[in-house]
Amino acid sequence: MSAAISIEQVVKTFGPTRALDGLDVEVATGEVHGFLGPNGAGKSVTIRVLLGMLRADSGTARLLGGDPWRDAVDLHRRLAYVPGDVNLWPNLSGGEIIDLLARLRGGVDKRKRNELVERLALDPRKKARTYSKGNRQKVALVAALSSNAELLLLDEPTSGLDPLMESVFQDCILEATGEGRTVFLSSHILAEVEKLCDRVTIIREGRAVQQGTLDELRYLTRTSVTVATERPLEGLDAIDGVHNVATEDSHVRFDVDGHALDAAIRHVSGFGIRSLVSQPPTLEELFLRHYGDELAVDGDGPAPGTESGELADPPEHGGHPDGAGP
Amino acid sequence: MTTLVQPEVESSGASGVTGSRPASFTGLAQLVRLVLRRDRVRLVLWVGGIVGLVVATAASIVGLYDTPEDLERYARLVRGNAALIVQAGPGYGLDDPTTGAVVMNEMGIWTLVAAALMSVFMVVRHTRTEEETERAEMIRALPVGRHAQLAAAMIGVTIANVLVATGVGITLIAYDLPAAGSVAYSLSLVGVGSVFAGGAAVASQVASGSRAALALGGAAIAAAFVLRAIGDVNESVLTWLSPLGWGQGIRAYADERWWVLVLPALATVGLVTAAVALQARRDLGAGLLPERAGPSVAAPRFSTPGALAWRLQRGALFGWMTGIGLFAFFYGIVADQAESILEDNPEMEDFLAQLGEGSIIDAFLSTAVLILALTATGFTIASVLRLRSEELAGRVEPVLATPTPRWRWAVSHLAVAVAGTVALMLVIGGVTGLGLALASGDVSTFWPIMGASVAMVPAMLVLAGVALLLYGMSPRWALVAWGAFAYTLVIGLLGSVLDLPEWALDVSPFTHVPAMPAAGFAWTPMVALLAVAALLAAAGVAAFGRRDVS
Repeated sequence: MSAAISIEQVVKTFGPTRALDGLDVEVATGEVHGFLGPNGAGKSVTIRVLLGMLRADSGTARLLGGDPWRDAVDLHRRLAYVPGDVNLWPNLSGGEIIDLLARLRGGVDKRKRNELVERLALDPRKKARTYSKGNRQKVALVAALSSNAELLLLDEPTSGLDPLMESVFQDCILEATGEGRTVFLSSHILAEVEKLCDRVTIIREGRAVQQGTLDELRYLTRTSVTVATERPLEGLDAIDGVHNVATEDSHVRFDVDGHALDAAIRHVSGFGIRSLVSQPPTLEELFLRHYGDELAVDGDGPAPGTESGELADPPEHGGHPDGAGP
Repeated sequence: MTTLVQPEVESSGASGVTGSRPASFTGLAQLVRLVLRRDRVRLVLWVGGIVGLVVATAASIVGLYDTPEDLERYARLVRGNAALIVQAGPGYGLDDPTTGAVVMNEMGIWTLVAAALMSVFMVVRHTRTEEETERAEMIRALPVGRHAQLAAAMIGVTIANVLVATGVGITLIAYDLPAAGSVAYSLSLVGVGSVFAGGAAVASQVASGSRAALALGGAAIAAAFVLRAIGDVNESVLTWLSPLGWGQGIRAYADERWWVLVLPALATVGLVTAAVALQARRDLGAGLLPERAGPSVAAPRFSTPGALAWRLQRGALFGWMTGIGLFAFFYGIVADQAESILEDNPEMEDFLAQLGEGSIIDAFLSTAVLILALTATGFTIASVLRLRSEELAGRVEPVLATPTPRWRWAVSHLAVAVAGTVALMLVIGGVTGLGLALASGDVSTFWPIMGASVAMVPAMLVLAGVALLLYGMSPRWALVAWGAFAYTLVIGLLGSVLDLPEWALDVSPFTHVPAMPAAGFAWTPMVALLAVAALLAAAGVAAFGRRDVS
């Protein structure tokens, strides 16, 4: 499968700030790729490098097989973009802006445009000056989604939308991928990424700290387990990767890292499992773990000693430390 | 000010805002500090620029006219000369000329206009622009009074005007001009600045966009200039309808009339009261007129960067055409009167004979076209710098994310700037010619005036090129183009007074334009100026293609 986006060791500095610091991102054609990171991590800078607005200081970025800086114009025929902060011309109506942007890209698909305007409940007659943030975002979304672009670059596209519109947006993205389009979606709304994305890159301080499928990443995260056993459960603490063991009445609750799940369950089953409830990790937790060292300072987790070490140096994905049994 | 506000802030913290005093101005002290902090560089440039201009003018006049004979010779040339009265004012004190009267005649009106411009820009920047960018909303959500931002802008602009006036006053006194006249002129600077600040405050309530507010403020200054020019020439009451007329009406260095200061004071109070009343009646972010709905679908031809650039700029261009057309018409009508002066002013005839072969009307028209062209260059530069404001407002990103090459986007606005400049000069030429033809019944001057106007275009385009090159290098540097504009204005209006070295005059492209219709047309400077403009523009587009877009 060829890559729609391929970013290797890209560095972009603004004066003393290293906005991108050796970033690597790989997006396969046809996938929905989530690009996650906190504010200021470099998400928008990355997208603007991909759009040829910014020139990378070093490293290589490839987009749809071209150079985003040199081949910007040709590449832009094949992509559509929704900025994170949508700024429109105050004295033009929403409809005029949608049409203008679509025509600049090559033409308006009127049927699609009108359908999207209706689905997103946008009043295209209003002047952009009077639009709220959410409505400005709808204008940009209609302009982008009504195109036939093969790549959608979306920079936090739903940050101003209400939950109803968010779900309309999600439907639209799923339809787009159904048509074989590639979507690069930067976000800090984890539920959205979880719902839409095949693969995720997590960026922090200008570097990719994780990249993989959601399953791969989940493997690295902790599952919460609540278990009741026939005999009192002992020795769980000793397993590498088990955290926060707490005994409540007849139940034991613990969190376990993906790589230690096998070992932990094997250990527990030795005590005779009566009931077991496990909760898969949410992206929320995944996310928190990567920025967890900030949280750890606030005293997150009962075992700060072991945790801070792990958080600063997350295991490589796909790495399976052998499950040390009891 | 601080003492007035401080207790209120404290009481609002303790017992809420239901004090006995209205809380409309809560937070004023902090907001004034914000205004001054945001404008610290601008203030230095404006105050430094205006005071610097006065220093340079005063120095050269004091040097040039240092004997009573020199002063008398100057006065004879100027007295009763309608053409000069239009541009300089009534020339109080020139019957028995003193250095002070000459200084006033040379720079009095322009310094007043500069203070007025500074005031309009500053007030709009801190009121309507703040609302437009929705920063005002953030401020208003704080425990800040409804009128506090407006009041802070007014206090800020007053401080700016006082700084200008103090600098100018000290300069004039330092050149041994009488203290009374210097103080009188300084006070009238504060007065005129304040009136236009009040006008801009009203404009910011009426208009829903900052560009429209600036246009209203600029139109007010232009109207005031025309009113006083007509009034001064006819010695009619019209002068007294113009704040600029009041500024000169104080008669600095010519038997000061201090009571005139009451006029700007009353007008300022009236305008600010009106602005406050309007502000109390409208929603934040809204103008006085309700926003109309637009089309739900774009017109078929609205599909190119050029169409967008035209759409964004046409309003400004039509505004400029109307405003400068009125100005031009007025100059055309007045030009006819220039001839009657010749009959009883032999010195003027000698003076013009030295200039060249043209008649006095031709000489007047040359100057008029130059002044109008310099003013219209304001459009040219603003039009090119639209690129900058589009970029800084984040509105270039959606366009450049389409298959629109950067050069095409830049050239689209440049094309509007060039076409608009040509259109403005055609309007200036046509309307001045029309005015003169109507006044004199002689149509033979129409085409020469038209030619003189169009001949200004290459020089104006050089400034467009400068603006584009600066913008191409960095949007932050682009504002330096206004510095270049100010320089050409100073050279164009005061170049002959300032006693500058040759090269300083030659830097301004307008120096190289033949003073038609007084002088003949020449191809060489036209072609050279166009070539320079084209080179600058090409370099600007190339530079823009290479840099990061913010």
